[in-house]
Amino acid sequence: MKRERVAIAGLTGCSGCQLTLLDCEDELPLLLKNADFDYFPMASSGIALKGEYDAALVEGCLSTQEGLKLLRNLREKSRLLVAFGACAVSGGVTAIRNDVPREELSRIVYGGDAVPGGGFEPAPLASAVKVDFDITGCPPEKADILEFFAGLSAGVLPIPARTFVCADCRARENICLLAEKGELCLGVLTRGGCNARCPSMNVPCEGCRGVAEETNFAEAMAIFSANGFSADRISEKGGRFFREFLHEKKEYQKTDPD
Amino acid sequence: MKKKSIRKLTRIEGDGQVELIRENGIVTDARFVISEGVRLFEALLAGRSFHEVPDMVCRICSICSTVHKVAALEAVEEAFGCMVSRQSAILRELAVNGGVIESHALHLYFLALPDYLGVAGFQEMATTAPELLQRGARIKKCGNLIQEIAGGRAVHPFNLVIGGTGSSPRKDSLLSLEDELESVIEDATSAPEIFQAGNDRFPELPVFPFFAVKGESRLSGDTVGLSTGELMTAASFRSWLGESAQEGSCAKVCNFGNSGIFVTGPSARRGIENMLDETSSPRDLSDDRKSPRQTVSPYLFNLHRAIELQQSLDRALMLVRLLLEEGIHEEKALRLAPRKSEVTKVIEAPRGTLLHHYEFDRDGVCICADITTPTAMNQAAVGISLRKLVQGMAGAGYGEIRSGCERLVRCFDPCLSCAVH
Repeated sequence: MKRERVAIAGLTGCSGCQLTLLDCEDELPLLLKNADFDYFPMASSGIALKGEYDAALVEGCLSTQEGLKLLRNLREKSRLLVAFGACAVSGGVTAIRNDVPREELSRIVYGGDAVPGGGFEPAPLASAVKVDFDITGCPPEKADILEFFAGLSAGVLPIPARTFVCADCRARENICLLAEKGELCLGVLTRGGCNARCPSMNVPCEGCRGVAEETNFAEAMAIFSANGFSADRISEKGGRFFREFLHEKKEYQKTDPD
Repeated sequence: MKKKSIRKLTRIEGDGQVELIRENGIVTDARFVISEGVRLFEALLAGRSFHEVPDMVCRICSICSTVHKVAALEAVEEAFGCMVSRQSAILRELAVNGGVIESHALHLYFLALPDYLGVAGFQEMATTAPELLQRGARIKKCGNLIQEIAGGRAVHPFNLVIGGTGSSPRKDSLLSLEDELESVIEDATSAPEIFQAGNDRFPELPVFPFFAVKGESRLSGDTVGLSTGELMTAASFRSWLGESAQEGSCAKVCNFGNSGIFVTGPSARRGIENMLDETSSPRDLSDDRKSPRQTVSPYLFNLHRAIELQQSLDRALMLVRLLLEEGIHEEKALRLAPRKSEVTKVIEAPRGTLLHHYEFDRDGVCICADITTPTAMNQAAVGISLRKLVQGMAGAGYGEIRSGCERLVRCFDPCLSCAVH
């Protein structure tokens, strides 16, 4: 069987997506049988990009010139470019104050006028290059990563989950945190596939996998509203990871008769 | 003619480089450059409700996510006058130990061991030293299992919440964790032996005074002990721990007033613990206690990390047994009533002392956040050690000096996402 050549790279972020890959301790030997991680600076020496890659998984948001250079280089050399985790897909938690000039934010932290390292507003990878596939989540589920590699060997891409966290949660017969416990759980909006990891442990969903496809936002907002949560609270919480929650709020308010 | 050559560091967390200065082809100096992109977390936190602070700060770093979360939880709870249950406190300590086990196993067996074996990384180890790699993977996995059982997830644990825990672990999970820990403790018995080797390959390096949190649980508290014998309170940190932006680095560099350059981390914890024990119980005189002015050397960092890996496994087993003995209760997380408050917590992260400082207004909105991480604290020591190493290796070839420098930086196990945040 052909061995896949894979690049694993990190831009600006917490390395949690790469770590989740390294946390697949049981599956790593099998992964290594089918793939060569030819570029993986976090885990291996060797920093030159050589030849062509079957896939490049890129973690983190885009916020530095160096990162942009690396991303473009990887795009050029790779058949598939994967946005690896919430920051790569949407900008992530780092992008929550993109409405404020970076110089102003930097002054709060560093004092001076110049932003250390220069750079620019955190942005998703897709703002600069064509992205072939998203592995979402903060962090992604191991299963999502393994499914991608299984597909890579077989020449197919996984089908992204179309369900909601709410559906996963019902399937596990959990008590509804929103309706029955009055907690701000975003499961009704959030893309499933995590097996309702947080609500199953009695912790409300924070929307780290992004807004699900085919979301009926108006309906969801009516449910939140009936449980005492305003659109602001929803966008504040979900917007920590995914700008879509903010965008949807604006869209919703436009059509809101109130 | 002076020439700079920069190369990206590998087998560490985050983005950084070692810059070598060459004059007429001879390496004369080295610099540690942290180039990780700034995320400006302290500015992102300003204006957010206290509810959000722990969930957001743990995203500073994945490897250290549990300890960032616990630091923020303890800070918020102290700010609003809340004490969590004994069971929650034990679960948090267990999770923090799980984080130490995972982080140390990752560093030692996946990132540092290739230096000892002369290979590029874990992939090569899978064919040249598979047994050793598997042993490391088993230990690492156990650290993750602990964080999953206590925190719900190995990276960004969500079950540790303000006021307690989301849900309590099941008895059968704790029983299987007990079994797992017992077998992994066996796996870790050879760790100090493996990481003791290779220290004679380097020239003499500077030694440093050190500090660590002095607390009841060994990992968290309100006081920091210095190797000089002084005790500093967390609340007065601005009087003893300075932090300033430095040209060319994306991370602030810490200073310790006029007291020189201190280091933090596993060796420091060990040193402080030995000092504290001096009065209470007689112990054998280990090497680092013989000198009158106590110091630690970067050469011993990996050895001490390996010893601490064993201690954390033992401690985790003890905590699991304690939970089983006392019985698991379903508990509800406490609700907090915000008030205007200022708070500082110190906790031992895998890489050393971590400090979280927050100010909240009367509605519990965070108006100021100030986070100081172990890698920022160690940054000055890394710089001086590199310079001394280059001097000590005078005459050696460029490649040899470069790999020596990279290996030395790795001894500190720097976490660059934390350092910059």
